[in-house]
Amino acid sequence: MKIGVFICHCGENIGRTVDCPRVSKACQWLPGVEVSLDYKYMCSDPGQNMIKDEIRKKKLDAIVVGSCSPHMHEKTFRKAAVDAGINPFLVEIANLREHCSWVHDDIDAATDKAIDLVRMAVEKVKRNQPLTTIEVPVTKRTLVIGGGIAGIQAALDVANAGYEVVLVEKEPSIGGHMSQLSETFPTLDCSQCILTPRMVEVYQHPKIKLMTYSEVEKVEGFIGNFTVTIRKKARHIDESKCTGCGLCTTKCPVKKKAFNSFEENLAYRPAVYVPFPQAVPNIPVIDETVCTYYKTGKCQMCVKVCGREAISFDQQDTLVTEEIGAIIVATGYKLYNIEKKPEGSMIKGYGEYGYGKYKDVVDGLQFERIASASGPTSGEFKRPSDGKEPKKIVFIQCVGSRDDSKGFSYCSKICCMYTAKHAMLYKHKVHDGEAYVFYMDIRSGGKMYEEFVRRAIEEDGVKYIRGRVSKITEKNGKYIVKGEDTLASMPIEIDADMVVLATAMIAQTEASELAQTIGIPYDKYGFYNEAHPKLRPIESTTGGVFLAGACQSPKDIPESVAMASAAAAKAMVLFGSDKLEREPVVAKVNELFCAGCFLCKKVCPYGAVEVKEMKDRNGVVYKEIAYVNEGLCQGCGTCTASCPSKSIELAGFNNEEVFAQIAAL
Amino acid sequence: MEELKKLAKELLENKTVAAVIGYQQVDDKRTKPIIVTTPEDASKLVFNEYCLNNLAVYLTKARIKNLAKQNGTTLKLGIVAKPCDIHAIVALIQESQLKREDVYIIGMNCHGVVKDYGMDFSGETLATKCTPCDSHKPLYSDSNLGEVKDTPKVSDEVLEKIQAVEKMSHKERFEYFKKEFDKCIKCYACRAACPLCYCQRCITDKTVPRWVESSPHSRGNFSWNVVRAFHLSGRCIGCGECERACPMDIPLSLLNRRMTETAKQAFAYVSGRSLDTPTLVGSYDVKDSDELFM
Repeated sequence: MKIGVFICHCGENIGRTVDCPRVSKACQWLPGVEVSLDYKYMCSDPGQNMIKDEIRKKKLDAIVVGSCSPHMHEKTFRKAAVDAGINPFLVEIANLREHCSWVHDDIDAATDKAIDLVRMAVEKVKRNQPLTTIEVPVTKRTLVIGGGIAGIQAALDVANAGYEVVLVEKEPSIGGHMSQLSETFPTLDCSQCILTPRMVEVYQHPKIKLMTYSEVEKVEGFIGNFTVTIRKKARHIDESKCTGCGLCTTKCPVKKKAFNSFEENLAYRPAVYVPFPQAVPNIPVIDETVCTYYKTGKCQMCVKVCGREAISFDQQDTLVTEEIGAIIVATGYKLYNIEKKPEGSMIKGYGEYGYGKYKDVVDGLQFERIASASGPTSGEFKRPSDGKEPKKIVFIQCVGSRDDSKGFSYCSKICCMYTAKHAMLYKHKVHDGEAYVFYMDIRSGGKMYEEFVRRAIEEDGVKYIRGRVSKITEKNGKYIVKGEDTLASMPIEIDADMVVLATAMIAQTEASELAQTIGIPYDKYGFYNEAHPKLRPIESTTGGVFLAGACQSPKDIPESVAMASAAAAKAMVLFGSDKLEREPVVAKVNELFCAGCFLCKKVCPYGAVEVKEMKDRNGVVYKEIAYVNEGLCQGCGTCTASCPSKSIELAGFNNEEVFAQIAAL
Repeated sequence: MEELKKLAKELLENKTVAAVIGYQQVDDKRTKPIIVTTPEDASKLVFNEYCLNNLAVYLTKARIKNLAKQNGTTLKLGIVAKPCDIHAIVALIQESQLKREDVYIIGMNCHGVVKDYGMDFSGETLATKCTPCDSHKPLYSDSNLGEVKDTPKVSDEVLEKIQAVEKMSHKERFEYFKKEFDKCIKCYACRAACPLCYCQRCITDKTVPRWVESSPHSRGNFSWNVVRAFHLSGRCIGCGECERACPMDIPLSLLNRRMTETAKQAFAYVSGRSLDTPTLVGSYDVKDSDELFM
C-alpha cells in the first residue's frame, strides 16, 4: 500500500508552533509512506493540486493530511482525493491545528506530538475500507411549528415555492403576538391591517395544511425523513360543520369566569370563544375548565343556538402523524411576568414595581391592547382601575433585561423602540398628557429607528430620563414613581396615573420541552441555539431543523420575517434534490456472532436498531439478532461501545482501525 | 421429593415439556445435573441441599435449546430451579435470550445449599451466596414445590471480605488482586458456568483486534477478570457459580458482589428480580445519579 502524507502549515497557524518540514521529513520513513510533503496552504488550489499530482504520479492508495480539524477541510481533501481517483474514505486527517499547534507553545514537543498524530493517522488509513455514500430519499414537505408572523411567512414562502407545508399552532388561531399589537414601529401602520391578509392567505393556500389548537408531540427520524406526531386538541366544535357565525360565543352565559388572554387579561371571554374577531380559522373553542356543561351537565345553550349542530361535547384529542422532510421552528417568545418570582427560575422578580398588585401598572403587551382600536377600550386611553384617561404615564424600560442581579443579562432589543412608539401613540391621542420614559441607553439600531425615537422626543415631546426606578407606591389613586436621573445626578419622583413596564422578552414556557422533543439544543434562557452564530444563524445543529423568529433570540418583526424567509429558503435547498447523500459511517452487526441481547437497541438514541430473524435453509428461525437501519443510524457509536462481545462495528471507525491508531502511539 | 418426580413425569408424558433439566443424586452428599427426556427417567430427579448447580446456564446452550424442537413444533423446556436460579432465568428473559413461554419453571422452595459436596448441611457449611439471600420462595414459577424451612443465620462472609479489601490502600488492594489473578490459568470455567455469559463469541476470543490478552500473564489476567466483572455489573444475579467453578479458587464473588452492591445503592436495582422493569444497563432515567460518572 502506498500512502501519501501532506503536512499543511496553515499559514502561521500550524507552522508557528509545529516544525512542519521536520514532521514531513520524519513521516517519510514511516512504513507504507511513499511520499511526504509540506506546504503553506494545503487547502488552497496549488495545495490541492499538489495532492492530486502526487496521487497520480506515485499511484498512491491512500492519503493522510496533517492540517486543521476535519470539521473544516475534510470535505476539501476528500474531494481532491476523489478527483485523483481515490475513495474519499481512504483520506485521514491528522488534526495538527486544534489538537496540537493551537494548544501548545513548545515547538520541539509540539512537533514530536504532530509526528505522533500523523503516524496514528497513517496506521489507521492502512486499515480503512473504501466506503460508498448512502443515499436517502427526501420527503418534500415542511413542518412549521408556530403560527406567528415568522411561522406564517415561512409557511407562505415554502408553499409558494410549490412544496407542501403543515403549519402547527398551539392556540386556536394563528397570528401570534403580532395580531395583538396596535401599530408598528417605525412607520406606525396598523399591525392587524398588514397581518390579517397573510393569515387569510395561509388559510386559503392549497399547499398549506393548517392545524390550529395542536401541538407537536413526537418527532422521529432524521433530515429529509421525519415522522411527526401532532396532538390535535379537542375544540369540542366540529370544524367541518362550523361556519363561524359566532352565535354560540355571543349566547354563552359564562361571562366573567375566564380572562381573555388575547386581551392580555384586561377583559373576559365566554366559555366558547374565538380569540379575536379576525381569528383564522374563525372556529370557536370550548374551554372545558369554565364551561357549565362540563361542570353540571346542563346549560347546552351553544347547542341550542347552533343551527349547524357543530357543537360536540364528547370530542377527544386526536393524534395525527405527518411525514416531513424539514422542520422550521418558529415558536416565538413571551413576556416576562414580573408579578412574582417564577418557580424554578434563575431570576428574582420585581415585586417593588407592583405589577399584578396595582391595576394601572401594566406591561407592554397590555398597553398595546389599550392602544389598539380593537382592544378592550376601543383604542381610547383609559386606565384599567377606574377607566379614567391617564394624564401622566411613566414608561420603564429594561425591566428584566440587561439586569444581571435581578433579571436576564441579555438585551430584549425591541423595548426601546416600542416604548418610544407607546409614548408617541399616547401623545397623539392625549394632547395634554405627559409621557416620561426611564431608560438605560436608547438602542435604536435599524432603518429609520433612530429617527423614530428622535421624533418621539423632539416632535411629540416625550420626556426621556436616563436612570432606573427603585420603587412604585400608590397614593390617592396616583402612582409615585421614585427613581434617579443619572444625567442630572439627582433623585426624581413622578406622580403618574399609569405605569408601563417594558418587560423582558423570554423564551416560551415549554421551549425546552419542545427542544427535547425535536432534539435541538437551547441556551440557558431557553432560546434555541443556532449551528453557528455568524455563518449558520438559521440552522439548528440538528440536520433539517431550522429556526425562525424570536424563539432563537429577541427580535422585532422585520428580523423575524427575514429569518423566516431564510429558513424557508434553507428548507427549499433541502428539497432541491430527490436524494440526500449521507456519510456511510454507520454501524453494522456481525450476524455470525451477535447473541441478540439487544443492548444496542436499548441504548440507540435514534431507534436505528431493529430485530432481525435469522433463518436456516428450511426457513426455521434459529435466532434473533440486531440489525441496523442505515437510514436512521447517525454513526454516534453508542452501540459499538455497549456491545459486550464487540459484534457491532462502526464503518470508518472499526475496532481494528482504532486499535491500530492507539497501538501506533 | 415425590411430588417433583410425579410432576416431571406428568409434564413429559403429556408433552408439556420436551425435557426436564434437574438434579440426580450421585451419593449421599452429592448431586449432578441431569436432563430427563423420558417419563421413566423422571424418577431420577431429586432436590435437596446438595443441588448446587445453577441449571439456568443450560438454557443458553444451543444443544439444549434444540431438544425443545420436536417434529417441527417447539415444546417447553422444564427446569428445576432454586429461587436464585430463577433470577438468572428472569435476567435471560430480560436480555432476550429466552421467552417466558419457552420454559416451564419448577420453582423449588429453598433454605440454602452447602458450600461443597460431602459436607453436612449446617450454618457453618452454608454456601456464602445463601447468607445474604432473601429469596426463599420463587418469584416466578409454573409450579412451586418443596417445603419451607428456616435458613441458618450466619454472618455475611463475602461482604466482610469486601469491607476488608476496601480498607486496604490502593497499592495493597492492587497487590491483593494481582496475587489472586496471577493464579488464573485462563480455563474460562467461570465463563462456562455463568448463565449470563451467553455471548456466541466472547470478547476475549476476538482476535482482530485482540481486546483481552489470552496468555496467563498478569496483564491478560487482569484484563480478563476485570472485563468479566464489568460485563456482569448490574447483571450478575449472584449465584456464585463462577467462583465455585474456578479451579484456582479466585475470589470472584468479591468483584461481582461489590458491583451488585454499587448498583443497588446507586440505582436501587438488583438484577433478575422483575420481568417488568427495564434492565439497568441500557435504560436511563433523568433522575439517575451522576455520581458514578464524575
